Amino acid sequence: MERRKIDIILASILILLSIIILTNDGLADGGVETDLGSLFLPRIVACFIILFAGTIGLQSFIKLSRNQPLDEHEVISTTGFLGVFIYIAIFIAYWFFVPYVGFLVATPFVMLAIAALLGGRNWLVLTIMSVLVPLIIFYGSRQFLRVFLPTWSL
Amino acid sequence: MIDNILNGFASVFAVGPILGIVAGIFIGIIFGAIPGISAIMAIAIILPLTFYVDPIIGITMLLAVYKAGIYGGSISAILINTPGAAASFLTALDGNALTKKGQAGKALALSLFSSVTGEALATIVLIFVAAPISIISLQAGPIEKVFLLLFAFTVVGSLAGESIARGLLSCCLGMLFAMVGLSTITGAARFTFGYTELMAGFTFTPMLIGVLVMPEILNVVRKRNMASQTLSLQRSTNPSDNRLSWREFSSLWRTLLKSSGIGTFIGALPGLGSSTAAFIAYGEAKRTSKQPEKFGKGSLEGIASAESANNAVCGSSMIPMLTLSIPGDDVAALLMGAFLIHGLTPGPMIFFEHTETIYAIFAGFLLTDLFLLLIARSGFRFFIKVASLKRYFIFPCVTVFAFFGAFTAGQNINDVLILIVFTILGYGMRLVGLNPAIFIIGFILTPFLEQNLDQAIAIVGGDYSRFFATPFAWIFTALSMFFIYSSVRLKKRQQANVT
Repeated sequence: MERRKIDIILASILILLSIIILTNDGLADGGVETDLGSLFLPRIVACFIILFAGTIGLQSFIKLSRNQPLDEHEVISTTGFLGVFIYIAIFIAYWFFVPYVGFLVATPFVMLAIAALLGGRNWLVLTIMSVLVPLIIFYGSRQFLRVFLPTWSL
Repeated sequence: MIDNILNGFASVFAVGPILGIVAGIFIGIIFGAIPGISAIMAIAIILPLTFYVDPIIGITMLLAVYKAGIYGGSISAILINTPGAAASFLTALDGNALTKKGQAGKALALSLFSSVTGEALATIVLIFVAAPISIISLQAGPIEKVFLLLFAFTVVGSLAGESIARGLLSCCLGMLFAMVGLSTITGAARFTFGYTELMAGFTFTPMLIGVLVMPEILNVVRKRNMASQTLSLQRSTNPSDNRLSWREFSSLWRTLLKSSGIGTFIGALPGLGSSTAAFIAYGEAKRTSKQPEKFGKGSLEGIASAESANNAVCGSSMIPMLTLSIPGDDVAALLMGAFLIHGLTPGPMIFFEHTETIYAIFAGFLLTDLFLLLIARSGFRFFIKVASLKRYFIFPCVTVFAFFGAFTAGQNINDVLILIVFTILGYGMRLVGLNPAIFIIGFILTPFLEQNLDQAIAIVGGDYSRFFATPFAWIFTALSMFFIYSSVRLKKRQQANVT
């Protein structure tokens, strides 16, 4: 993947968001009146974002229009991205199910899924680890840290 | 000051802090030695566990993880030529060359002694320099602090980023995210879009783990099909190859002193970090060596210079944080967050408001060096064995710890959602060349900037020219310009070297 195109898209989005911050008074709600106002610093930062994002976008646009050869860091390798998406999906499912099935039930499945994703096939050891680690964390945090992890609520 | 130091030692010589230091050293060495996991990852994961203990125990434990993690990076660098931390790149050059000659034991021992020497010297400088600097920085009022913070943003953003624009954009994005929620000055709800969950802003710990730790795991997941090397320590039949003699070590004292000095100086400057220190010290050692041709081929001087310099940064990077409230690099930013969570605001006042705690932390620093020497020396084989575990055993555990860390911050499942969102953001930032560490520094420093700016405006009233009535304003503006100029020149020179 070519990073220059992403730079241009990203710069455009950031500039657009900055313009919204600069022009929309509804982004701050309530509060007391001060000399500077609640949106003074965000607007200063937005101006700088326009400046720096514009610089990055412009540089990439010039290089793109001149068909300059890509530098090493301007190429984003997409190899292995599927694994990244699967990992994020596992994590989102983990976040979603934990309040319902509890930490002790959800965690072994998540650990096994991630281990499988990373190529683990040593199922006996992985299963023991996936059961023991959540148990230790659950009871350890309850006893020593007074942190109460979610439990089964269905 | 001596009284304070002695009191500090008295506070730290207790079961809690010592157990914290020992645990921190174990965790740091193991995490540092595993390729793909860094010290910063270990600190971010351990951070929530320290919320529930005394600051002396919690912070000394985190510092022990930091120091041991930087040293741990050299183990995989020496044994399999894969630096566990970026700063160990040069150690890999000479250390792995020695391993190939069957002298891994000697290389590991030298790396340990050099690391501890560099750390101890930098810590002594920190102890004796930080308090006097804080007295000077106490003279600074809100106007001076505004310029100081602007200087910090400029320096960190321009020096640490892939390019100046990308570095400064990372900083601005961090600043913008810091302004979500209730304004501490006006009480207005900013960028909350009606969601009451956003009123308190983004919770620091899940955001930190998301931006700094999780993208490293995603990188490992992405490269899951690449074969991983196993760490192993081969003992040579010649006993002198397995150990470092006193004669060999004492012949390196000039290199150690000079490199520790370079590391201490570089660490005290914001934005440069341990890799820069190691490169400069290595270059200087090679320049002044009687055998420069040996560098890169198993030079003891090479290992000593790189390791002592990159470890010296650990101690001295605390100087700008503790005296000026400016975290110099990503680890210092993280530690600053830890200080804030424990109710200690880094800055000159910390030496007066929390004298006992801060000197206990300093004493813990020195004690960590001693324990690191003892634990690492006696447990080489154990650490190598643990660090050799397959990644499908390590990373499921790291994921669960990240989840637990995010949840623990507020015992709120929404914090896990913040973790997921910032994981995606942090990974995306890396892909497009933005710097997550600068993002975090921008996030942490913005509340201080806003507060001081508000006070400064109240002081000057309508006469804005009074902003430039103080010499600090001119000095910091000039320094900011100088750093941007030198950073532009440095990057142009690097580009010229590449082409």
